[in-house]
Amino acid sequence: MADEAKSIARGLQRRDPDLLDHLIEQYQYRLFRYLVYVTGSKERAEDFFQETWIRVLERGHQYDGKSKFEAWLFAIARHLVIDWQRSKKPQSLDTLTDPEQESPLQLANEKEPSPLHQVLSRESEENVQTSLSQIPAIYREVLVLRFQEELQIEEMAGVLSVPLSTVKSRLYRGLEALRGALQGGAV
Amino acid sequence: MNQEIHARAEQLIAQERVEGIPPADHDWLSAHLQECSRCAERARHTEHGLRSLRTMAIAVPSGLASRTQFRVRLRAQELREREPQRRALWLACAVSWAFGIASAPYVWRLFQWFGERTGVPKLVWELGFGLWWTIPALFFAVVVLMEKMRQGGESGWTRQSR
Repeated sequence: MADEAKSIARGLQRRDPDLLDHLIEQYQYRLFRYLVYVTGSKERAEDFFQETWIRVLERGHQYDGKSKFEAWLFAIARHLVIDWQRSKKPQSLDTLTDPEQESPLQLANEKEPSPLHQVLSRESEENVQTSLSQIPAIYREVLVLRFQEELQIEEMAGVLSVPLSTVKSRLYRGLEALRGALQGGAV
Repeated sequence: MNQEIHARAEQLIAQERVEGIPPADHDWLSAHLQECSRCAERARHTEHGLRSLRTMAIAVPSGLASRTQFRVRLRAQELREREPQRRALWLACAVSWAFGIASAPYVWRLFQWFGERTGVPKLVWELGFGLWWTIPALFFAVVVLMEKMRQGGESGWTRQSR
């Protein structure tokens, strides 16, 4: 893993176009899925997907190969979403990162089915998938990073730029929210 | 069975999945789940949710990867084309600094001579020398500012398109 990360770091330093093509192919599914969960919209996820890779090209020299590439990639994607969210409506960093806030990254109109709900409904009719769309984005995000991307808690702390204790607390609350949503209870 | 035991079981069910639990706690939890249907149900729900999360599929729009590759290549080409200009700009900054440092003693004497000839107060010509000395620094600051504005503008247009 370390050798692969180092080799990616060297390629990014050189802005190697073939390496970038390969990385885009390799991580397309994981990055897109993460962005759909974070933004709650497939269309927006597409925009951020492209923008993330442009940023990887421009800032590739900042990746040192000491951590997993995907953790760095998700951190870039997340920062882009937060920057966009900030420019859309002024709000403090606390609003974006405080788990107590109501769905801070959820962009949907509450009266209509959320875009994520619609995306997931199109993908499958399973109850669990629609339940997931009810979970606040901030918890959905940690669940995705931990249980889909299988990042370590330390890596997640790097992606989210928060302390380990915050990651853990979000994970516990996320699990509770997931279980609650599956049982049809309020999240 | 008292509430504290259920609370401990609930905590361990989550902890096991988030950060893992010691073998002793694992054994205790397994034994508890065998005799407590409520906690066993809770554990099943949690496991079911996580399994669904792991296996859930979201289709990537067709052509997204190739469109992105195309955009990235275009941007890489832009950056490559700008590289010589940027290098020349930084070189000019460096030369300007070097020249400023090397010529400082002579310029100081020149200002001093000019001040004495014209009878300008010492403070004024010293201030003049100071201003002359800040020119490369100002030039440098302007270059950095322009670079930052350009980068900001580049990421700005993509946001506006959303």
